[in-house]
Amino acid sequence: MSVITLDHVTKKFGDSVVVNDISDEFRDGEFITLLGPSGCGKTTMLRMIAGFEKPTSGEIRIDGKVVSSADTFVPPEKRELGMVFQSYAVWPHLNVFANVAYPLKIRKVPKAEIKEKVEKVLEAVHLSQYAKRMPSELSGGQQQRVALARALVAEPKVLLLDEPLSNLDAKLRERMRFEIKEIQARLGINVVYVTHDQGEAMTMSDRVFVINSGVLQQVGTPVEIYRKPENQFVADFVGKVNFLKGVSENGKIKLDGIDGTLDYSGEITGAVDVAVRPENIRISEENAHFRGKLLSEYFTGDTNDCRITAGGNELRMITDAATYKHFSDSETIGLYITDFIVFPASDSDFRKIMT
Amino acid sequence: MKKRIIAAFSALCIALAAAGCGKSDTAAQTGNPEVTGDTSVSGKVVIYTSMYEDIIDDMEKELEIQFPNLDIEFFQGGSGTIQSKIAAEMDSGMLGCDVLMVAEPSYSLELKEKGILEPYTFSGVDKLMFDYDPEGYWYPVRVCNMVLAYNPEKYSKDELPTSFKDFAENPEMKGYLSMSNPLTSGTAYSSVVGLYDKYGEEYFKSLNAQNVAIESGSVALTKLETGECKEIMVLEESVLKKRQEENSKLEVIYPDDGCIPIPSTIMIIDEEHSANKNVLAAKAVEKFFLSPEGQKLIVNGWMYSVRKDVSEYPYDAIPLVQLMENTIPVDWEKCYKQRDEIRTMFQNNVTIPG
Amino acid sequence: MENKKKFYFDVKWLFIIAIVGFLLVFQVFPLVYLLIRAFFAEGSFSLDAFTRIYSTSMNWSCVLNTLITASLSMVFGVLIAFPLAFLVGRTNLYGRKLFRTLFLMTYMVPPYVGAMAWLRLLNPKVGTLNVFLESIFGLSEAPFDIYSIGGLVWVLTTFYYPYAFITLSRAMENMDPSLEEASRISGASPVKMLFTVTLPLMLPSIASSALLVFVAAASCYGIPSIIGAPAKIYTITTRIVDYVYVGSAEGLTDATVLAVFLMVLALVILFISNFVIGKRDYITISGKSVRPNTVDLGKWRIPLTILTGLFAVVVIVIPFASVFATSFTVNMGKSVFEEGNFTIKYWETIFSRNSIVKSAGNSLISSVWAASLGMIVCIIMAYLLKRTNVRGRSIPDFLITVGSGTPSVVIALSLIMTMSGRFGINIYNTIWIMVIAYMIKYMLMGMRSVVSALSRVSPSLEEAAQVSGAGWLRRLKDVVFPLIGPSVVAGWFLIFMPCFYELTMSNMLYSDKTKSLGVDLFLYQTYHSQQTAAALAGAILILVAVLNIVLSKLTKGKFSI
Repeated sequence: MSVITLDHVTKKFGDSVVVNDISDEFRDGEFITLLGPSGCGKTTMLRMIAGFEKPTSGEIRIDGKVVSSADTFVPPEKRELGMVFQSYAVWPHLNVFANVAYPLKIRKVPKAEIKEKVEKVLEAVHLSQYAKRMPSELSGGQQQRVALARALVAEPKVLLLDEPLSNLDAKLRERMRFEIKEIQARLGINVVYVTHDQGEAMTMSDRVFVINSGVLQQVGTPVEIYRKPENQFVADFVGKVNFLKGVSENGKIKLDGIDGTLDYSGEITGAVDVAVRPENIRISEENAHFRGKLLSEYFTGDTNDCRITAGGNELRMITDAATYKHFSDSETIGLYITDFIVFPASDSDFRKIMT
Repeated sequence: MKKRIIAAFSALCIALAAAGCGKSDTAAQTGNPEVTGDTSVSGKVVIYTSMYEDIIDDMEKELEIQFPNLDIEFFQGGSGTIQSKIAAEMDSGMLGCDVLMVAEPSYSLELKEKGILEPYTFSGVDKLMFDYDPEGYWYPVRVCNMVLAYNPEKYSKDELPTSFKDFAENPEMKGYLSMSNPLTSGTAYSSVVGLYDKYGEEYFKSLNAQNVAIESGSVALTKLETGECKEIMVLEESVLKKRQEENSKLEVIYPDDGCIPIPSTIMIIDEEHSANKNVLAAKAVEKFFLSPEGQKLIVNGWMYSVRKDVSEYPYDAIPLVQLMENTIPVDWEKCYKQRDEIRTMFQNNVTIPG
Repeated sequence: MENKKKFYFDVKWLFIIAIVGFLLVFQVFPLVYLLIRAFFAEGSFSLDAFTRIYSTSMNWSCVLNTLITASLSMVFGVLIAFPLAFLVGRTNLYGRKLFRTLFLMTYMVPPYVGAMAWLRLLNPKVGTLNVFLESIFGLSEAPFDIYSIGGLVWVLTTFYYPYAFITLSRAMENMDPSLEEASRISGASPVKMLFTVTLPLMLPSIASSALLVFVAAASCYGIPSIIGAPAKIYTITTRIVDYVYVGSAEGLTDATVLAVFLMVLALVILFISNFVIGKRDYITISGKSVRPNTVDLGKWRIPLTILTGLFAVVVIVIPFASVFATSFTVNMGKSVFEEGNFTIKYWETIFSRNSIVKSAGNSLISSVWAASLGMIVCIIMAYLLKRTNVRGRSIPDFLITVGSGTPSVVIALSLIMTMSGRFGINIYNTIWIMVIAYMIKYMLMGMRSVVSALSRVSPSLEEAAQVSGAGWLRRLKDVVFPLIGPSVVAGWFLIFMPCFYELTMSNMLYSDKTKSLGVDLFLYQTYHSQQTAAALAGAILILVAVLNIVLSKLTKGKFSI
């Protein structure tokens, strides 16, 4: 329905660069997630699209029309967007119906039509019976859905969501993910979704923008950023990962402190970081790339979550639930790596920026 | 909720409208008096005065008969208020009035020097009992009288001082006395100058030893009524007014060492500085106030006339001639020229704690 | 569409510029003019007046007295207001609504009328209360002496604690209960919670209420002139009036120079209170709605209710009863109950005299204007201060504070000098000069009320409206105003009330057509009819109380003071 173009958008607060030269295009009907640790600039990015912040430099266009640039600025109220705030921002002095009807009232929609539309959207978010309630009489999840209904009621071309699910309990959060996705699919609108939860990003997005310290790290489909992270940060932030140091030489990677090599057909040579996802480690005596000692296991129902040490590295392995209690503690077992990602070696410790 | 706000606002509007109605009523009441007076002057004249408001009400009625075509407006305030208002107005270059009936001759001397007054030749100067400006810049128009007062319902006159001197020296009175503040009241200041001339600085040292309270005349009168004060130094008119209007039992003591009559003046602002540039009318008004008829209005306001030939005297008071037999004189030139010194003298002796 | 975007101009700037301009012309200019006049008394720059005024030991004792009485009134005012605001706003105390109204009552009586009431009650010789206590406990001398620093502080405190009470109780009611609940869950008793969570959270509101009490007490004239002067306790304001009433140009200069101290003092206090508040504005109405909770007093409910009631009796009921008794007393030397000493003639006077009815109408109109215009200025300036990053956005706040700290008489004189045609504006002798004087003097109350209300409203609530398509004015109307509405109404009353019975400025600025109630009150007060003044004050009190009840009923308790 709508195209949002970011053209070298930079935002500084004083000397600190919060968003650094981001360019891209959110295409028609796309569900875009801005993913990153807190303080990475993703909310600022969203607020620039909404119009609450002005970019320090660069240009933002919606459907080809400039909304923010050096000499043009369209204020939020003229951008015709929908937005759900992290705190919901449900007006405490208005009841549910009045809260949701507000954007329509501003647009001077006839009364009958307002009633019809509000009822429809309240039904969509399962709040029909609460129309007359005041916000203080609602639970957090219900308030969140009021905020969502209000953002959707005017049928905006773009829906902006700022960590809308972070205040909800796990069960509700999971359900809301699918509801939001379903509503988006049904209406065919653009969604820009800000979260630090990679699970939400994975399940809902068409494309994920991974941001760190204001710098765009990678843009891709959930599968791409998971399977083919472009750097250690992305590999680490999206999903779980073990990092092993090693040296790549002649199609082989020798892992530091580990007696064994991995076959590698890529182009990176010399010192490398090898990222191995826990689910890509298998127990196998015959094809073992190397051996490790089992430290602990945790039964999660559908998997067995194990800690292993191998040559001074501690590794996490997630494997079949059936293997639980199959080995005794401290038993040395053979490990087979089904897949891994190789990066040129870096000194920084990626875990430190995790939240 | 919106409706409620509207309702609240309407209520307010009704209240405002009602207030507006009250105003139109009063306009209707000021009917048309018979045309008998001086019709030669017209336009408008504004008078600043420190006379009582109730006297002004009566005066306005009388003036309307005297000057049917002239619109006379009074601004009433304490002499301090009016003097500071005038000072601020002079700073802006123009006064808001045409005639002044405020304060003592010392203030008139000051205004004359400032060159904003218009002289007027009054033909009856021989009838005046008090000082006037020989060039006609100011004339006395009413007399306030500084006396002592007590409350016979609380204390017997026999126990109380009957002179200003004893007022300051009788040890029985310590902590039970009150007087007005000469820093804010012109009449109080004039009295201080009179007493200073008669008794010297010692008088004020004694006053301080008496722990005399320095406060406004109205507060002092209330304290006299409640018995908090045994005796106060106060303007006679305020006691007389209370006696006539409220049947108050408070009584005046004419001090043995003399009352301090303080004439208050009338002045005309010159064409350049006056509000309505109506000097002719202002002169007619001044003439009226100085006439026996005008003086009767003053006497009705519990003040003494300035004319020998007016035999009326204020309610419950004594005739002017009798009053003038025993007085403490005030040197107006000194009042004006040595104001800072005398104020400081008073402050150092009485006002400053300790 | 394209053009509209290109030349988009935010409408709020028009308002802001208009209001800043208004303040510059009608407040800054007159006061600055007065200051320049003081510095350039002899045509060229000179500090003579300053050295003269500030080298007089008498003046320093006035400065000291002002600092002492205002500081003590501030401390006691807040100490009284805080627990009262907590009890009334957050607990299940009996009769909370009644107490709430009662505690604001003293604000509705002119200070000099109240001061006279205390004077009659607590003078050491024949004070009614003193005599009563002496006879009950068989004391040989009066237990209280109103003519002392203590007496002055007492009367100032009882008069100005409502400022703190209003500010604090609003803040109290808007606090997120989960913050307190977290404290209880961590093992704190209700008292411990009060001191470790509630009190620190309230600190910004406490600072701002302390500012109000201090500035009001320091720039008050009526009370120190009646209570202080007989005790030879002079304050800056009484001293300024000494100078002003000399009635000469030098007198005005001297008064101005001394007034500078009060203006600076108000600024210092504002600075300190802003410093304390700093970034610590944490009480917010968040976008997440919470249920307001009340603290159960348990076994303390009855004792605390009695204690609060006792306070109300001492501070409100007794002096007010004294005011009303006075209004019916023929001879103040006797009890009103004595044979023949009861009269309703003073009440007849105030309702039958045309001039009073007319003055009441004038006062109503001018104070409604002052309060309404004042609140518009306050709302927009508070918005500027709290919601924008404009450079110099705190300047209007400072101006409003300076205005409030300036003694009334100085404001009136500066307006006469500058607004009577010499500089192209002539509003002298019109209602507008009074409206402006009132605004300068009393806007601070409204400003603080709105600022603290606004700082408690989360910006996201407004952003939600903005993203829904609402422009600036629309957001003010739909979101900001309803949320801060009760505070706006309270602020309106806080400006309206003192304007309605204002005396010092009205007395200098009125003309035949704009005579105000304060002028009449002043006349009766000074011209020897305490009783008529008491009746008039009583009538004002009743009128305001009724208005308040009507307003509260009409808005179902949402709006009242």
